[in-house]
Amino acid sequence: MRGLRKYLTPFAPDQSGAVSVLYELGGLVVICDAGGCAGNVCGFDEPRWHTMRSAVFSAGLRDMDAIMGRDKKLVAELVTASRALEPAFAAVVGTPVPSVIGTDYTALRRMAERELTIPVLTVDTTGMQLYDKGAEKAYLALMQTFAREKLPVKPGLIGVLGVNPLDMSSLDADKAITRALLAEGADEVRCYGMGGTLEDVRRASEAEKNIVASPSGLKAARYLEKTFGTPFEVRDPLAASLLESCCLPADLTGKKILLNDQLVRADSLRRLLTARGADTVTAATWFMPCPPCEAAGDARLKEEDDYASLAENYDILIGDPVLKSLVPGFRGTFVPLASFPVSGKLLK
Amino acid sequence: MKKQAVYYTAGDIAARDIKDLPDEFVLSRHLIYSSPATLAFNSPGAEGFGVKRAGLAIAGSVMLLVAPGCCGRNTSLVSEMKAYEGRFFYLNMDETDIVTGRHLKKIPDAVREIAETTTPKPSLVMICITCTDALLGTDMERICRRAEAECGIHVRPCYMYALTREGRKPPMVHVRESLYTMLKPRKKKANAVNLLGFFAPLMDDCELYALLSSIGVRTVREISRCRDFDEFLTMAEANFNLVLNPEARRAAEVFDKDLKIPSIELTRFYEPDRIHRQYEALAAALGVTFDDGPYYEEARAAVRAFRDRFGELTFSVGECLNADAFELALALIRFGFNVAEVFGTVSEENMVYIRYLADLSPDTRIYANTEPTMIFYEPETACDVTIGKDAGFYHPECPCLPWNSDVQPYGFRGLVALMKGLTGVLEQAGKADRSPAHADGPADRSPTQATACAGATEPDATFPVAAGKGCPIVTGGEEAPSVPGNADAVPAQEGGTK
Repeated sequence: MRGLRKYLTPFAPDQSGAVSVLYELGGLVVICDAGGCAGNVCGFDEPRWHTMRSAVFSAGLRDMDAIMGRDKKLVAELVTASRALEPAFAAVVGTPVPSVIGTDYTALRRMAERELTIPVLTVDTTGMQLYDKGAEKAYLALMQTFAREKLPVKPGLIGVLGVNPLDMSSLDADKAITRALLAEGADEVRCYGMGGTLEDVRRASEAEKNIVASPSGLKAARYLEKTFGTPFEVRDPLAASLLESCCLPADLTGKKILLNDQLVRADSLRRLLTARGADTVTAATWFMPCPPCEAAGDARLKEEDDYASLAENYDILIGDPVLKSLVPGFRGTFVPLASFPVSGKLLK
Repeated sequence: MKKQAVYYTAGDIAARDIKDLPDEFVLSRHLIYSSPATLAFNSPGAEGFGVKRAGLAIAGSVMLLVAPGCCGRNTSLVSEMKAYEGRFFYLNMDETDIVTGRHLKKIPDAVREIAETTTPKPSLVMICITCTDALLGTDMERICRRAEAECGIHVRPCYMYALTREGRKPPMVHVRESLYTMLKPRKKKANAVNLLGFFAPLMDDCELYALLSSIGVRTVREISRCRDFDEFLTMAEANFNLVLNPEARRAAEVFDKDLKIPSIELTRFYEPDRIHRQYEALAAALGVTFDDGPYYEEARAAVRAFRDRFGELTFSVGECLNADAFELALALIRFGFNVAEVFGTVSEENMVYIRYLADLSPDTRIYANTEPTMIFYEPETACDVTIGKDAGFYHPECPCLPWNSDVQPYGFRGLVALMKGLTGVLEQAGKADRSPAHADGPADRSPTQATACAGATEPDATFPVAAGKGCPIVTGGEEAPSVPGNADAVPAQEGGTK
């Protein structure tokens, strides 16, 4: 039956992606929910929660708050918390509840800005889309709110968009990317969303070039290109090291490979696999499209059966271990590659 | 301005009326910090029982979560537990579903497919819906009836409505009601009793089983010990229920109204005198006597041995544990220990303990676990050991007894297990036995000494507790116990005991 999931738990939702991008920037992030969504973010989708403090709170909405549309109460609580925490900015992240009651985020932002002396941004996530959509919205809102000034370009400075634990399935992706890009000749690397600061975002126009490491960073990269003329390339700087850590068969000559991940990573891996002799490498994703990374035959997956029927035609499947449950009769080689938004598991 | 977590002392809180608590202690007046305790409450994944695990309390049941994807996301934590493998199914909603309600039409088909493709065939499909349907006003009872009629399988709703958590019928109250309304009237067995309240069993060696046995009770049923759906249905045979968690009060009302099975509510205590007094009150309510003396002595001996061994320890007590944080803190103080801090939620029910705490230890700090400034918490008071997962989180340097297992500690044996658990974590942490400074040991600050109990009566399975009288609460507090009057006896429908 279409729409029924029997094996896979739901993937990371858009509000988790938005929070992931904002997490390390010193803001007061309010998830506009009754408690469960914030619990899901802090207790599951945000692996930094137990090791790195961040002011991520739930609005603690109750039925009458939703029915009466008590935005003023939410703003008052934001003001109280803001006095105690002295954040650099405030952000309100949407969930299904404000989505159902039709919260006007622009009005909410204006109301909050009138009461607070800090910038306020809102991300109209709904809980019904996937994490990359929320991360994309948060990247764009961040750049539009803070990267306002055209600064002189610093040669050798590389900005990296689309780096957060959900997109990268890793807690030290920022460090690994920095190492990789410095080795390639960069002088300085700034990863937005992980390891970077709000000041880095403010000074985004200084970058000589941006790298989009996952589809969630593409819109913000285009915005920076349009606003400041910063060029960008789309690739995962970690692809080579990732491939090294995969338990792939030694000889890939003539093999047909189905690769499941976010499309920037999948495409970067595809290039490497093809160079090693693979006959066909198809990227299949549950997540957002990314035109610069797509090739003929690539697939967008929706139903569990979509993956199972596609997999029949391949010799090697590369993807999160939970996908194995969808293809119990598969006779080829399954190569595990953790995808946090799928299973909640980080790369080892 | 120094950024620090806000706290009040027990003295500060006790001086206030429950309706005049500081804003930090009123959930609706601030944003919510996701402390471990909040997470266990808001997002019970791998531990504790939220609606998802509770809804699957009946063996052989499965759950279909009909909700936006975000609501089911962390279910993978539960799905990984052996007991829940293959028991969750999802029908993810999108914006169109919200506008048109089309997702509701898919439910019977989804139930049918689950029933036809799951082996063994499920005994029950729980349909779990969330805040979105709460706002849409979905009549899930009707949809479940339709699915049940079309698919020939039990289908019940459960409501993961975080929006209504402080309402008249919060989700955890509702889920119990939803489960127990499946029971149909049966011939009563005079020697059968249900324990309501928890979704995991009491510890196997809890004295409550033995005490009930001593008065002729031969079958004690708990939902978590029922091996299948048919055994669950036998809960309708009980003579009376013991309600061990206030969240089961509404379910007890269902038993009373629909099945004519009365209930008595008990509270979990850690003070032996309170436990003893509660058993006395229970015995009085049932028209029997309990010989709880040996258990009482065992518990007091365990406390004495622990205190003698480790001396005047200072505790930090959280609320993410199988206890009322304030009652446990008060018990520890009365045992002669110190309690530097309690991380808890102040309520009308535990205000009585806070007032006693204020008398004995007015400077004990009380922190509101959900309040935003808790993000700044840094340990300022020295403590030797923490109890509760949240207290352990705040004091990573201290030995911690999480005390939050699924299996429920209860009664005197619960206290004995607590002392054993504390001994274990202190031994593991290499904490020295009592220091010379504590050689004489601290004074026991218990208010009373219980007297030895009378001997047990002959087994008799007829108890003067009646349906239709509400759910009396028997207490172990200093305040006069509210013991049900000499209620009408329930005639034993089945003679004798097994």
